Amino acid sequence: MSDRRLLASFDCEEDLLAATTLLNSKGYRIVDAFTPYAVHGLDHAMGLKPSRLTWVCFVCGMVGALGMLWFEYWIGAISWPIDVGGKPWNSLPSNVPVAFETAVLLAGFGSVFALLGVSRLYPGKKVQPVLERVTDDRFVLVLDEADARFDMSQVEAMLKPFNLAALEERVVTTEGLQR
Amino acid sequence: MTPASAPFSTLSRRLALLAIVSAITLAIGAAISPVRTWSNLLIINFYLVTLGLGGALFIALTYVCNASWNVSFRRVPEALAVLLAPVGLGLLAVLALGREHYDWHPHGTGDAGTFWFKEMWCNSTFWFGRAAVYVSLWILLSRALVTVSRRQDNTGTLGLTIANKRLSALFLFVYAVTFSLASCDWLMLLEPLWFSTIWGVYNFAGMVQAVLATMIVLALVLRSRGPLRRIFTDDHLHDLGKLLLGFSCFWMYIWFSQYMLIWYTNIPEEASYFIPRMQGAWGPIMVVNIVLNWIAPFLFLLPRPCKRSESVMMKVAVIVLIGRWVDLYVMVFPTTMGDWPVFGLWELAGGCLLIGTFGWLFFRSFAKAAPVPSADPLLGESLHYHC
Repeated sequence: MSDRRLLASFDCEEDLLAATTLLNSKGYRIVDAFTPYAVHGLDHAMGLKPSRLTWVCFVCGMVGALGMLWFEYWIGAISWPIDVGGKPWNSLPSNVPVAFETAVLLAGFGSVFALLGVSRLYPGKKVQPVLERVTDDRFVLVLDEADARFDMSQVEAMLKPFNLAALEERVVTTEGLQR
Repeated sequence: MTPASAPFSTLSRRLALLAIVSAITLAIGAAISPVRTWSNLLIINFYLVTLGLGGALFIALTYVCNASWNVSFRRVPEALAVLLAPVGLGLLAVLALGREHYDWHPHGTGDAGTFWFKEMWCNSTFWFGRAAVYVSLWILLSRALVTVSRRQDNTGTLGLTIANKRLSALFLFVYAVTFSLASCDWLMLLEPLWFSTIWGVYNFAGMVQAVLATMIVLALVLRSRGPLRRIFTDDHLHDLGKLLLGFSCFWMYIWFSQYMLIWYTNIPEEASYFIPRMQGAWGPIMVVNIVLNWIAPFLFLLPRPCKRSESVMMKVAVIVLIGRWVDLYVMVFPTTMGDWPVFGLWELAGGCLLIGTFGWLFFRSFAKAAPVPSADPLLGESLHYHC
């Protein structure tokens, strides 16, 4: 991936969706898309892989359930056995509610923090929108000017039929995409 | 006959034949082993009534929360709700025939209890009168919901949607009270000395799970054979799958809530229900029950692609529907038939009667109206639904 980006702006979601589908099928590298609201079907048009967040959630849930079952067993049967109604020390049914709650807790926290971590959202992070208007009425597609055969005029001609509103080049820096 | 029914006339005829053959088999069963046959009939009729009631519940719930996603296949739960009239009357007949199984004073043990309210509540005449009231209310309200929706096909009036919304709220209130009482009256009262306050919720969970699985099977059949092609989409299937996953977990949650409290306190009058079902020959069936109703749907329905796959969803729905029968079997048979699980010709005939009657009645009632509520103001939204 090079550090040169092409920003294509559109005025409505249908144009963005159609342009994204076309560029993706032609093999252009789509880095990201910025829209004022969630556009249905955009992930599919961009050719994004299914989210791996579900696996994080599943693994965290399993760790929570199994870890808590083991911990409860250790407390009740090994470390400090207490006779409750004459039940055996290792009574599984009494361990299930807490194991369930822990599974939900860890699955929830795990997913949220994994999402925040992967998207680098942390307290105090400065907002760096590619264009101010993506928070209002603009739909922006970010392309990677990757290889030698990337031809600016060709891309522009290809995007024209989709009511292209603006085309702009940017460079990747630590401060975000700069002019 | 409307075009919608044409591809199903052969299937309907076969299902009707299956129902007749199994009904004759069960009639022979009634002569040879009356209690066992009656237990089978109770399971079948309760199963069918909860499917009809579940259809009405699904319609009512989606109306009151202003949902649009389900509109394109709403004729499926509507056809289920129409089923309530014949199967409701069937259930009343079965209850009338089996009044001695709900005997509050079996074998003359008049000292079983003296609490005046229970004396009054478990009185046989009052018990049957209540059942008749519950069933008539359900038939009346679900009929009204379906009639209003069908009338909209011709007029397209928005007022009819609003009318159904009001009716749905009324139905939900009536349903919540009566179904909880009914499940206690018809299933829990088989053991009049045992009680569980979560019984109504437990049956509600099983009912919703079964009706979701039924709608998945029916919608997929109707999609592959015509009427709902390109109308029932993978997105609708995905959402039904999410609901089925959720309600499978809910069923397990409620099942365990009932079990754990009884296990913890370990009082003889409460534990009397679980001892024959957990210890001894019924134990493995209880495990099968949990595998079919929770473990299998939970593991199969977690991944997203599974919920959008026709073949996976069909299999999971069938597993859940078998699980629902097993769940009712474990509720009824240990009480009426004793400590040993019995499974043979009469149970198979019962299952066939269930499938035959249900399929035959369903395709008949589905053909009575247009397969899609074409004039519903929310239909367009539903057809373009994306989840």
